Amino acid sequence: MTTIFSKACVVALTTAALGVTATAQAQDDCPLPSNLRVVIGSTSTGGDTYQASSIVVDQLADKLDINAKVDAVGVMGAFRALERDRRGNTIMVFHDGSYLGNLYGVNGYPDIFENYTVGPTFAINPGNAYLVPKGSDYQTMDDIIEAAGNGERVRVAIQPGGVSELGFSALKNAVRLEHPGQEDNIVAVNTGSQADKNQLLFDGAVDVINGSVQANEQYTNLPEDDQKSMRFIWLTSPEETIAQTNEEGMGDTTREQLLQYAGVDIPMSADADESFTFDKEFFFLYNKDMDQAAVDCIDNALADVFEEDEVNEQLKRAFFVPDFKPSAEAVESIKQKNDEYEGIIGNLQG
Amino acid sequence: MESHWLSLFDVSIDFGQSHLFFPRIVTWILVILLGVILLTRYRHVAPGIKQAGRALAGRGGEFDRKRFFGTIVLTTIYFYMMGVLSDVFPNTGYSFLICSIVFVLALSLLYIDHFSRRLLLIVVVNALIAPTLAWYVLAQLFRITLP
Amino acid sequence: MDILSHLTPLFFGLIAAGTLVGIIFGAIPGMTATMAVAVCLPLTYAFGLENGVALLLGLYVGGISGGMVPAVLLNIPGTPSSITTTFDGYPMAQRGEGERALKTGIVASIFGGLFSAAVLFFFAPILADFAIKFSNVEKFLIILLALTVIASLCSNLLMGIFSGVLGVWLSLIGTYSIMDGGNGETRLMFDWMEYYLIDGFSLLPVLIGIFGLTTVLLDAEKSFKDEANQGRISLKNGKKFSFSVFKGQFLNLVRSSSIGTFVGMLPGVGGSAASVLAYSQEKNFSRDSSQMGKGAPQGIVSSESSNNALTGGALVPLLSLGIPGDSTTAILIGAFTLQGIQVGPLFIGNNMDTWYLIIIGLLVANLLMFAIMYLAIKPIAKVIEVPKYILYPLIIMMCVVGAYAINYGIMFDVWTLLLFGVFGWIAHKIGLETVPLIIGFILGKSAEIYFVKSLESYGNYSIFFTKSPIAMLLWALIAMSLAFAIYINIRNRRHASMQS
Repeated sequence: MTTIFSKACVVALTTAALGVTATAQAQDDCPLPSNLRVVIGSTSTGGDTYQASSIVVDQLADKLDINAKVDAVGVMGAFRALERDRRGNTIMVFHDGSYLGNLYGVNGYPDIFENYTVGPTFAINPGNAYLVPKGSDYQTMDDIIEAAGNGERVRVAIQPGGVSELGFSALKNAVRLEHPGQEDNIVAVNTGSQADKNQLLFDGAVDVINGSVQANEQYTNLPEDDQKSMRFIWLTSPEETIAQTNEEGMGDTTREQLLQYAGVDIPMSADADESFTFDKEFFFLYNKDMDQAAVDCIDNALADVFEEDEVNEQLKRAFFVPDFKPSAEAVESIKQKNDEYEGIIGNLQG
Repeated sequence: MESHWLSLFDVSIDFGQSHLFFPRIVTWILVILLGVILLTRYRHVAPGIKQAGRALAGRGGEFDRKRFFGTIVLTTIYFYMMGVLSDVFPNTGYSFLICSIVFVLALSLLYIDHFSRRLLLIVVVNALIAPTLAWYVLAQLFRITLP
Repeated sequence: MDILSHLTPLFFGLIAAGTLVGIIFGAIPGMTATMAVAVCLPLTYAFGLENGVALLLGLYVGGISGGMVPAVLLNIPGTPSSITTTFDGYPMAQRGEGERALKTGIVASIFGGLFSAAVLFFFAPILADFAIKFSNVEKFLIILLALTVIASLCSNLLMGIFSGVLGVWLSLIGTYSIMDGGNGETRLMFDWMEYYLIDGFSLLPVLIGIFGLTTVLLDAEKSFKDEANQGRISLKNGKKFSFSVFKGQFLNLVRSSSIGTFVGMLPGVGGSAASVLAYSQEKNFSRDSSQMGKGAPQGIVSSESSNNALTGGALVPLLSLGIPGDSTTAILIGAFTLQGIQVGPLFIGNNMDTWYLIIIGLLVANLLMFAIMYLAIKPIAKVIEVPKYILYPLIIMMCVVGAYAINYGIMFDVWTLLLFGVFGWIAHKIGLETVPLIIGFILGKSAEIYFVKSLESYGNYSIFFTKSPIAMLLWALIAMSLAFAIYINIRNRRHASMQS
């Protein structure tokens, strides 16, 4: 308590001393403000975006010797705040939802590549998963694709227009490829929070739900006769990503057990034999007009941060996979993902 | 069959249009209720509006226009200036601090009936201390984001 | 046993500090329990799980309890769940019984808090299994039941219902959010408004606008004459508090606490519904409810015991399913994940020590809340003597902080405050009733989601009647609640016409 108080006092005194021209520069070539605001595209302070951001932003702020605060303003609030601020006092953190919203044509989602600058990536949440009730007849994704091909309706609970819908789209696309014309047997049941998705499964109103290793792992350890019991059927992350998590895995499920749900063959297109995978990656977004020097500065500082073990360990402990790519590299890889998934989504609409 | 008459209540919602389904029902209920209110209470409506108009125009006897509109105008200026200044001093809360001191002082002065030297002193001291304290505790200690 | 080693002075100190800070947050109009917990969340990282949770539980209990202070003294609910406390608390304060009202509230609060803690401790897993029997259909009916409450809270039935529906309508402005499973399209507005209104109006700015700013405007219009005419409200007038207030209130306490605990358990229904439901059930079922709304202690008892019972209730699904019961416990999840603790159906079994510590923390927080509030009541009640030219500017300032901070810094929320402050004033003038309006606003969005989602899954309106025995029971309650409300309304009208 006392340390926090004294820290706060120091902060107060320094800001007071700096007075109104509060653009102190930690490093001479670093045009970042002494009070940096990091807005995230989520309104929840209990969610993965907030968690990953606050771990990395704290380290970044230490490295640059500035104050930084993560504000959970939500997608629209964050895009607006970023738009208004040309001077780089506000930066944003979000995940693949930022461009997927645009690909799915959700109202209010801009084209991030055109309207903003994509900054470095820093972490992957490898936990994006699909689950079925423990007693379900579906043992593998192939069973589901087969069933849909044979005219069986498979209802999947998702949150529309983002990360949660992407795996669903890939599944539907796979059915389209293997059993043309049968893809409409994969039915989306659009809902909201994880609690709502779980509830639909308990009600028997859906056959499959989108979920996560973090939120649903304990449900998979319940006995089969429990109404709440579930079973993983698919992790969308590739095996390489899962292999980088801690060996203990999550809860009572080890990494090795998790690996068997990854690397499922979900074909993406008829000609290539590449299979669909998806990593939920967190990255920075900047105002289009933000100083290039500030962009570089964050890149460099993050590179330094990720050199050290501390941030990597913190991320891993929270079941994230460290994934630092500097801006230039990050833009390319995000853009590539964007184009890949645009194909899948387009196939289904067209 | 039993299910036969139940099918009268069948409904299918197109997801693309589902954002209008519930609002439409609520809007209809609202319109119907408004109609009922106008029908049953039309005798109260016209005089009510007339009275409100008279009050706002300053002929309503008990209505203190200076303080009422003064409050609204000062609050509007307060909010507006806070937005403007927060672009000048981003992420520090200084905008909130400066605007609040001015606003608290101005509004206190507007609300005082009889001025006296002592009262004036109290009001000025309050306008300086209270916002500063709020700013220090909230923005600095608790790191709440302020304008 | 390992658990004793965690019961350090720091553990208790943090609960005390949390409770105190929570009470202060709750007591300042515009600041809420949720905000207190959110603000202190980053601190918990430094303290470790047990101590961090102790701090947050203190904040949660303190924040919910502190909300009664401005509700009683200023007619401004400090948190959304203390709306119903204003109904009887403020009239009592006007009679000079502010201290009595607050003390009644505190005793009711600790009863509700301890009741729900006991329920949490003994029945959490069973209740969680019961709570998941509530699908979208049943949740919609619960919300409908809470909405029928409007009928028993309004003074004119027609205007009250209209106001309630208007509140629902206002809550639907904005997008049908994809976060709730909607399609993300906007409605009930023009295209040019989309920039500001894409997320709709937030609850807290609307609430403090309609209650806080409107109060200031209504007084400003009258040049604060009421005060001058009646003389200062004296704290010495009126009845003193004694525990005899609770004579005959045991049933009320248990009923209200049960309602609070149960509503807290249902994710997505919203905590504010708890006190509203409890208040109206007391109004409908108590032997004599004629004084409720005019300063009857029984109203405060039901309101405060139910909103404190929320705390234990909302922890039931959090700790036994990993699902938050309300907005504050949603932030508590963050505290667990920050520490690398997984919450889910196995949480209690895997973390016995933490589980016991949470229960101890909850108990201690409630006891400390009682002690702190009881001692501090006398000075706090003096707020009412602060001249309005000092008090009102500060209230507006704190409302700004609350409105701006609730969504972590959105300027439009501050403008919402002004917009609804003026709207509240107009509503007063044209005879709209603000309490039904706010209740409609609070429940509108969830009502839509559960209604539309039910129909999407089942494709037939009859599902609301035939889904389950629980649904039928809820319909019976809705019918009863409406019948009572109409009966009381007619009786009151007859009384009024007889007196005139």
